[in-house]
Amino acid sequence: MKLRAIITLTVYGILAAIASLWMAKQSYSWFPPEASAESKLIDDLFALFTGLGTFIYLGVIGPFFYSLIFHRAAKYDLSDGPAIEGNTWLEVIWTAVPLVLVISLALASYRTYNKMAIRGPMDLVHLHLPQLMETAYALPLDDTPQLQIQNALETAPVEHIDVTARQWAWIFRYPEQNVTSTELHLPVNRRARFTLHSEDVLHGFYIPAFRVEQYVVPNQDIDFEVTPIKTGTYRLRDSMYSGTYFAANQTDAVVQPVEEYRQWLAAAAAQTPTPAFNQAASEYARGQAQGGRAKENTAIKGWATIPPAPPPVTNYASKQVSNK
Amino acid sequence: MTTEQAIAQDIEAKVRHTQEREAAGNSKFGFIVFLLSESVIFLSFFTGYIIYKTQTPNWYPPGVTGLEIRDPAINTVVLVSSSFVIYIAERFLHDKKLWGFRLFLIATMAMGGYFLYGQAVEWSSLPFTYQSGLFGGLFYLLTGFHGLHVFSGIVLQAVMLGRSLFPGNYDNGYFGVEATSLFWHFVDVIWIILFGLLYLWQ
Amino acid sequence: MTDISLKVPEAVRAQPYPGAPDNWKRFFTFSTDHKVIGIQYIVTSFFFFLVGGAFAMVIRGELITPDADLIDRTAYNALFTMHGTIMLFLWTFPVLVGLGNYLVPLMIGARDMAFPRLNAVSFWMIPVAGVLLMASFLVPGGPSQSGWWAYPPVSLQNPTGNLINGQVLWILAVAISGVSSIMGAVNFVTTIFRMRSPGMTWFRTPAFVWAVLAAQLIQLYGLPALTGGAIMLLLDLTIGTSFFAPDRGGNPILYQHFFWFYSHPAVYVMVLPAFGTFSEVLPVHARKPLFGYRVIAASSILITIISGAVWVHHMYASATPPWMRMFFMVTTMLVAVPSGIKVFGWVATVWGGKIRFTTPMLFALGGISNWLFAGITGIFLGSVPIDLHVHNTYFVVGHFHYVLYGAIAMAIFAAIYHWFPKITGRRYYEGLGQLHFALAYIGTQLTFLPMHPLGLMGMPRRVASYDLEFAYWNVIASLGGFLLGVSTVPFILNMVSSWILGEKAGDNPWRAYGLEWLTTSPPSVENFEEIPVVISPPYGYGQDRPLVASNPNPKTIADSGFLIEQKTLSPEPE
Repeated sequence: MKLRAIITLTVYGILAAIASLWMAKQSYSWFPPEASAESKLIDDLFALFTGLGTFIYLGVIGPFFYSLIFHRAAKYDLSDGPAIEGNTWLEVIWTAVPLVLVISLALASYRTYNKMAIRGPMDLVHLHLPQLMETAYALPLDDTPQLQIQNALETAPVEHIDVTARQWAWIFRYPEQNVTSTELHLPVNRRARFTLHSEDVLHGFYIPAFRVEQYVVPNQDIDFEVTPIKTGTYRLRDSMYSGTYFAANQTDAVVQPVEEYRQWLAAAAAQTPTPAFNQAASEYARGQAQGGRAKENTAIKGWATIPPAPPPVTNYASKQVSNK
Repeated sequence: MTTEQAIAQDIEAKVRHTQEREAAGNSKFGFIVFLLSESVIFLSFFTGYIIYKTQTPNWYPPGVTGLEIRDPAINTVVLVSSSFVIYIAERFLHDKKLWGFRLFLIATMAMGGYFLYGQAVEWSSLPFTYQSGLFGGLFYLLTGFHGLHVFSGIVLQAVMLGRSLFPGNYDNGYFGVEATSLFWHFVDVIWIILFGLLYLWQ
Repeated sequence: MTDISLKVPEAVRAQPYPGAPDNWKRFFTFSTDHKVIGIQYIVTSFFFFLVGGAFAMVIRGELITPDADLIDRTAYNALFTMHGTIMLFLWTFPVLVGLGNYLVPLMIGARDMAFPRLNAVSFWMIPVAGVLLMASFLVPGGPSQSGWWAYPPVSLQNPTGNLINGQVLWILAVAISGVSSIMGAVNFVTTIFRMRSPGMTWFRTPAFVWAVLAAQLIQLYGLPALTGGAIMLLLDLTIGTSFFAPDRGGNPILYQHFFWFYSHPAVYVMVLPAFGTFSEVLPVHARKPLFGYRVIAASSILITIISGAVWVHHMYASATPPWMRMFFMVTTMLVAVPSGIKVFGWVATVWGGKIRFTTPMLFALGGISNWLFAGITGIFLGSVPIDLHVHNTYFVVGHFHYVLYGAIAMAIFAAIYHWFPKITGRRYYEGLGQLHFALAYIGTQLTFLPMHPLGLMGMPRRVASYDLEFAYWNVIASLGGFLLGVSTVPFILNMVSSWILGEKAGDNPWRAYGLEWLTTSPPSVENFEEIPVVISPPYGYGQDRPLVASNPNPKTIADSGFLIEQKTLSPEPE
């Protein structure tokens, strides 16, 4: 009897472990493309969490369902179950194991965080190359993202971009060339440093393909760094609820080869600034024409709104995509 | 009335007596719990004040260099000593000396009233308003919220004074007076912290 | 002979029986009976549950297509704000306070709460808050559109310029509900500390009472902080102070600290009574003692303590310094330890028992499985790097709906079904109950599971329109949401018809072991004829261990069948 229980448990444990591994592998497919070095680090960490989480879930839910299926009372059985009130050893184990587990998960998260070398808003220690010191005891899983960050920092100076968020537009300014744009362009394999400002309320600077987000806080200039490593066009979304047209406050982030990026900058610098298309402003204007709605073609009318700021005047404007 | 009924009445009276005593105990316990909870509001205001003050570069509104400390200090002495006065009032009640109780309760109210008056004078002479930046807002918020508590304390004391005029009101204990007195001490302690934060830490 | 047999029930009936539907008028009075107040809370909050649910249906209706086409953006923003506010402040909090109100005095062998009048006042503030909140639909500018967090500066933007606007009404309503909760908490804590019946030591107190105590302690230390923040927000909004207004030099991030210092622990205020319910329901329907009762009881208090230092995990992206991020990551993850103790204890309770799949048992089991899932995704969210990606996305929405609907609402339904015979004296219809469970359980998975992949893909929460790539999962979530809406129909049918027409339940239909089952169903005004003297710990299943020294209701209950294990299931004869 004892032996059978042990074998059953072992087999179930192995099956659960296999399932957890499979889930951990699967977890990479749940994300947008890995467009920044940081995103690889986060996806690895997420896979670790997914694997462990699945294992815990199956470890608990398996016996739970087993019990629900096999320990049901027979129809006319009115007797009670065994009067077991507890078991000190079991209780100690299931206090200690989660404790150890969460502490190690916290530690793993801490390492990932350090490797990302995100400059926190008030953090001056992390200024540069913190991961050089970290490599000695970094997780041996995959060093490429770290190396990529390192390489980006060593090969070229950090690319500075001023980001202004307002109700409801994003404006990107490249201070060296004095170019403004409503679309974010970034060179690939270069560390980019954003200085985030807000003109009115809180916004969230969020590019899902880069996996990192940061609130944009009025009256504060927040520095924020990422390392794009994959060319392509990704969505940049406002992630902090910012009022009526919050959902429309999106734009594109274009990661380009360095040469293309330089060309784009040069071309944009040659353009004279013109008012760019702005989803919120255009919806508002159309709504005003139709009796003060925030949006003209909805079934149910709403209430008055804060008017959007005028469309930004920029050298370069994103192609007019009607915002979904 | 039969003897059975008399016995039943007697038991009932006894039960009521213990119930009343228990109810008073509950009230006291509940009141202390409430005060502890109430103190968290002040604690959060204090924390806010400390954070704002340490993080704001230009703390005082233009033209203001600090707060005058002399009159508030007198006010503080008056308010803090009123805590002892209300304690004496309570002792009088404990010894069933109602006149002494009333006298000292009135004295406490007078001192509380003087404090509020002093506060009003200070408010009216200040060169800044609650719209004058963070400092202005916080100053009026903290002193105003505390002043509201002082006012409630005085109202409670007035109610207790009124109650003492009904004969036999305090025969079964005087939880109301204890609570009022406790509240008054609470208001005092809060003021001492407030005084330290607003006036001494400049 | 016939005369006497007629008179006996008459004499018993002399005391009005709260819970019977015949004298329903007393539910509209300022009653001080904790049982009447409990029912008032439960029914009122259920009404608001339907209102909040209707809003959710509109929200899901809007999100079934990528465009903002069903309702105006401002209306959408108002609806999700009101959905969150109503579901938390007018449904989950009050319904749990109602259950606690009804059950705690019965479970600890008291005749009422410590302060019956205060109790009634706390209840009547809830409809006032509700009316105020609803009234905000009628003022110019409409209801608050700043989300249930009411983060400034958005909450300080007042497009109409009126002094009476939706945001002001919102703050007042939340403040009133807060005052009501603080008064309720004082009442609960005093009752539990001072009014337990003789012999009921702490480790003879049911786990539900422990959980309510732990939850109410959080109210006491947390709510005042929110109140402080709300006062400052109100002053900013009305008289022009500058605490949180950045254009006047204020600091909007500080509001977030005030808000989350309470509002994260508030989740534990809601989930702890749900845990307590699981701990009560499982032993009864699995016929086994609660496994590790003492540890489960004490872990509630542990959660109270830890929850005081976790709030910044909502603010990893709010320009918080790294040391704060790291510190609060560790504390947040530590919550998994006491929560884990409970889950393992429940599984061990069920293990080897004699399980019966009654409706309350189904809801409790479903709630636990959902909680397990939500707990695990909660650890994900506690990790700073992962949260930096999923913060403010649908992953978070999915997570907390698994907590709030998957675990807490399921626990509330489990509690209502489990104690329905006690509260009303009648049995509910098992078939309808199981149908309700099936719909609710499937609806929960369909609605809230798709939100996780949506969040990982990067769909922000609170959007009225979204990119096409998110359409697939949103359609499923919307359909699931409508199923959840449908699932309340059998519940309402069941409750109303069973209360009026249901079969008489008898005093202890579940053969449960606990003080509340020692009295009549529904209990008389005074609960017990004599105050029971407790002589053993709760959950004595399978042990033939008497719970109390003598029958507290000698006149009304024939024999103390619950003192020694009752051997028959037959309902008491009429």
